[in-house]
Amino acid sequence: MSLDQSPDQTTELTMDKAQPRLLDAMSQGLLGTRLSRPEGALKVTGRAAYAAEHLPDNLATGVLVRATITKGKVSHIDSDGAKAMKGVLAVFNGDPLVRNPAQGQAGEAPAQVLPEVHYFGQPIALVVASTFEQARAAAQSMTVTYEEEDAEVEPATASTVDKPKKSQSDTGDLEGALRDAATAIDVTYATAPHTSAAMEPHASVAEWKDGRLTLHGSYQMLKHNLAELADALDMSEDNVRILAPYVGGGFGSKLGIAPEAVAAAHAARELKRPVRVVMGRDQVFQMTLRRSETTQRIRLGCDASGRMTALAHEDRVSNLPGEAFSEPVAQGTHFLYGGENRRFTHEVARIHRPGTGSVRAPGEAVGMIALECAMDELAEATGIDPIELRVMNMRETTPADGLPYSERGLERCLREGAARFGWDGRRPAAQRLDGDWWIGMGVASAVRTNQMEESVARVTLQSDGTALVETDMTDIGTGSYAILTQIAGEMLGLPAKKVRVRIGDSDLPKSSGSGGSFGAQSCGSAVFLACKGLREWIADKLDVSPADLTLRDGVATGGNVQMSLADFAGLPQTSEGHVKPGDTADDFAIAGYGAHFAEVGVHADTGEVRVRRMLGIFSIGRVLNRLTAESQCHGAMIWGIGSALTEELMHDPRDGRIVNHNLAEYHVPVHLDVPQLDAILLEDTRDDQANPIQAKGIGELGISGAAASIGNAVFNACGVRVRDFPMTPDKIIAGLPDRP
Amino acid sequence: MQVRFLLNGETVEVDAPPTRTLLDWLREERGLTGTKEGCNEGDCGACTVMVTDEAGARALNACILFLPQVHGRAVRTVEGVSGPEGALHPVQQAMIDHHGSQCGFCTPGFVVSMAVGHMQGRRDHDDVVAGNLCRCTGYAPIVRAAEAAAKAKVPAWMSDEVPASETVSYAPETSDELAAWYQAHPDGTLIAGATDVGLWVTKGLRELPEVAFLNRCRDLQGIDDEGATLRIGAGVTMAALLPVLVRHHPSYAELVRRYGSEQVRQAATIGGNIANGSPIGDNPPALIALGATLHLRHGSGRRDVKIEDFFLDYGKQDRRPGEFVEAVTISKKATALRCYKLSKRFDQDISAVCGCFNVEVDGEVVSSARIAFGGMAGIPKRAAAVEAALVGQPWAKETVETALARFSDDFQPMSDMRASAGYRLETARNMLVRYFHDMAGETVSVREVRA
Repeated sequence: MSLDQSPDQTTELTMDKAQPRLLDAMSQGLLGTRLSRPEGALKVTGRAAYAAEHLPDNLATGVLVRATITKGKVSHIDSDGAKAMKGVLAVFNGDPLVRNPAQGQAGEAPAQVLPEVHYFGQPIALVVASTFEQARAAAQSMTVTYEEEDAEVEPATASTVDKPKKSQSDTGDLEGALRDAATAIDVTYATAPHTSAAMEPHASVAEWKDGRLTLHGSYQMLKHNLAELADALDMSEDNVRILAPYVGGGFGSKLGIAPEAVAAAHAARELKRPVRVVMGRDQVFQMTLRRSETTQRIRLGCDASGRMTALAHEDRVSNLPGEAFSEPVAQGTHFLYGGENRRFTHEVARIHRPGTGSVRAPGEAVGMIALECAMDELAEATGIDPIELRVMNMRETTPADGLPYSERGLERCLREGAARFGWDGRRPAAQRLDGDWWIGMGVASAVRTNQMEESVARVTLQSDGTALVETDMTDIGTGSYAILTQIAGEMLGLPAKKVRVRIGDSDLPKSSGSGGSFGAQSCGSAVFLACKGLREWIADKLDVSPADLTLRDGVATGGNVQMSLADFAGLPQTSEGHVKPGDTADDFAIAGYGAHFAEVGVHADTGEVRVRRMLGIFSIGRVLNRLTAESQCHGAMIWGIGSALTEELMHDPRDGRIVNHNLAEYHVPVHLDVPQLDAILLEDTRDDQANPIQAKGIGELGISGAAASIGNAVFNACGVRVRDFPMTPDKIIAGLPDRP
Repeated sequence: MQVRFLLNGETVEVDAPPTRTLLDWLREERGLTGTKEGCNEGDCGACTVMVTDEAGARALNACILFLPQVHGRAVRTVEGVSGPEGALHPVQQAMIDHHGSQCGFCTPGFVVSMAVGHMQGRRDHDDVVAGNLCRCTGYAPIVRAAEAAAKAKVPAWMSDEVPASETVSYAPETSDELAAWYQAHPDGTLIAGATDVGLWVTKGLRELPEVAFLNRCRDLQGIDDEGATLRIGAGVTMAALLPVLVRHHPSYAELVRRYGSEQVRQAATIGGNIANGSPIGDNPPALIALGATLHLRHGSGRRDVKIEDFFLDYGKQDRRPGEFVEAVTISKKATALRCYKLSKRFDQDISAVCGCFNVEVDGEVVSSARIAFGGMAGIPKRAAAVEAALVGQPWAKETVETALARFSDDFQPMSDMRASAGYRLETARNMLVRYFHDMAGETVSVREVRA
């Protein structure tokens, strides 16, 4: 069925009020189980084809050329020599090449600034040749002349600092409350810039046929990418198709259309032959959006009982001039704890390092490091147990707006987690020396705002009684294939093998895409609605009410009739589901919650930190697939270990360039850095306000707070409070206590 | 260069430039895209392939493996890990069942590493997959998959016969041939494992006009037991050396276990690690502490140097054009040897500081001291002043404290992104303290982190 054919039926829902828990009344028993991914066999045998692996006939290869100045203008590119080299087909510079990837959900072209250069490493040209080696050699051979300008690259001293109005707030009398507080702390934390480091480098293969572009890309949100790419190429989106059935990890880096896609599409149009552009790993580091470094000042004040009266979270992040995104550092702080006197300030230094954007859990991933370490400092200063202090400062409604919380499993997670982890074995700081290792435990809350996004999906009940699910959703490793199979199977009473899922094609109905932990719940809700429509259709055929219809193992039972789904007249029946966020998003504070526990060893002589074990426990509403959900938690907690101990993009202080642009020097945790991890999902929670399937996101919750638990454990182990993340040994060694 | 090898059971013949990587060839020319490129420099393992020769099967990174290196060997990619009729290998099935694959991009590399480990009956799954990065799911489900598959039978299709191969001019068969070639081509490049030279090509974009590949020089690949000493051929891989070190020098072995990764250790040779003169190579400090002797050869001429004298200055060694490292001899016994590697990340990371200690005590008094560091100077360097402060003194806390003050005489380290100068100096000192405690019988292994 093509795009312009309308479905036989459509079910729409705007999430204005809580919906009945229809899924709990289903009887297939597929949803929530540990279904392994249906595309697993393709992946383990190497047959799942990623973007760069489409090799159409007559394929040419492009290599992006990078700026070697920080700011200024390309005045001349001497490409005559390059063009004369063997195999070279063309050199493109200027429009429509883009400066950096689009921000998530931008839906319009990213900045097209050539011949201007705004950061070191910015793409300034594309060389296309018959083979990759020819293109690369030609790219190396070109001489570029610049008009260079002075550029600021240091956030702390930037002369242009934006203060977005909506991100500043001041309630009550913060200074007064801090003055009057029985205990107050005033601490400043810093976190390093991060990169997504998805395993698959960004890649695009572009092909034109009859005026229509097909792009095999590695992207997360196809409906937005379609708009971004069309805008960049100044054409109609109707003439663009993006295919991304398998995406080798995203973590935010593939939210928006990136330089390689625009360059490949443009070159293919001009050369009238297919063109592939793959970023080298160093280019992925330099040309995709990084997570901003942050500095965060936290002030907390409480009365003698520990009840907080004052809370301030003031941060500075950075981005290129003109980029709309800024790391929403204090996003979780706004509603997590009380304190009637509150201040939030948010500053964006405009500098010329490579641009910043969303990297897994923008906001909470780094904001929760500062907040949750500061909470530990307040607990230490008051002598109150860190868990009790947190529980004591949860409020009935959100401190700023007085909104009710939709579902909040925070206290349960903290208490159940403490019991499972053996929190009562924790000792005061620097008291457990085991051989050469100081041992300690730390805790942190986890919180991540939850949102559902508009999504459409189509489900067809086929003549053979199987179901076909179709949407432009992507699976970036998250498990979309599995989860959508399960939702459709549960609703239609079909085993997994009778549901086929087609995703990753922008010609299919437009979903949220993957990002912001909203993919499974948003796209899943659309599939749910489409199936709900089909249930109504089936019930109608059986002349029963949908509530009296049972679908199981391919058989419909209603009234006194049992009938195989394949035997229904009128098949195939195509049903579309369309979900939109509504009033519940404004009337409730909707978020996922959890708690992280870590035990670390700090080496008494070198300051090396080893995480000995970690436990994360989360409350995310309905669990759609226990296997993929736990896997998301594991991955996210490992990201927490990385940001706590090793991950740090380093910028040359002179020109802002990224120095460690490879996987040898940008240290993602490897096998032996990762200890025993326990990820626990609370079983029986539902969030009725979130969406019609009562499920919330998990991919980002698991990182939010994880690094803070490690920071707090380091303090508990050796008494050294590190406020500059990652906590490399050099920051610890100076403060280490003498061995007893 | 004419290269002939077995690819997934079929003989292939290729005429390739010397620096064509196996990965590029597989993906671009053969369309075997199951083998992935994640970094193109041996950091991530997404390109892991199985290579079999007389020494058996091994996992190697195809991105820094040049085609001529597989001449006369058998290569098996992820496509060939599945059976001819598409049957899944037990590790592939286990990876699905245990959810070891998420986004799937690292998966083929893991599968090949695991399949090689499976074939060899290895149970140290952590080490088998330590060279493969995963950014999605983390490592526990993958190790669970390896455990689950461990007892399954090795599928018949996995056994590759080593193909008969003719000699080729670019790969000398003996050290005599090599010596003659190098004497005639003193500006040529010798390529042993290519774990370093590979990056000259893939990242440095260098052309290498004259090369000789050493992997067919069998007489450089032996370890000779000479009674009190071991003579280790320059072509011995770190993987082949590891079990020998486990027996004789467990602390050095523990250092080597954290050296690169399985794939890197299977390619890298001890001779290459010494000859490239890197200030942060992990073998030289251990070899200096062991008092190793280096055997150099030029044509038919041979000479021996103390290993610490081989490193002259940053990028400069005591090696004439056309002269190469033939072997290194180490003592078989050094009960006081301890090697400490300090890196930002525990595994798969270049040392910020690598300290190796071998202090012998006669009665109560230090009779000899050999202490060497990597990462503290432009070369792997002996701590002469520190040693002098120890020798002849009682082996006591006070002596150690006196010696600590001498570190700044020996070393003026630099600050770089791996560590600051101050941290390097402080941890180097602390390593001596740690060594003192270690010798006093306290456990200091960084591996022994218990939950």
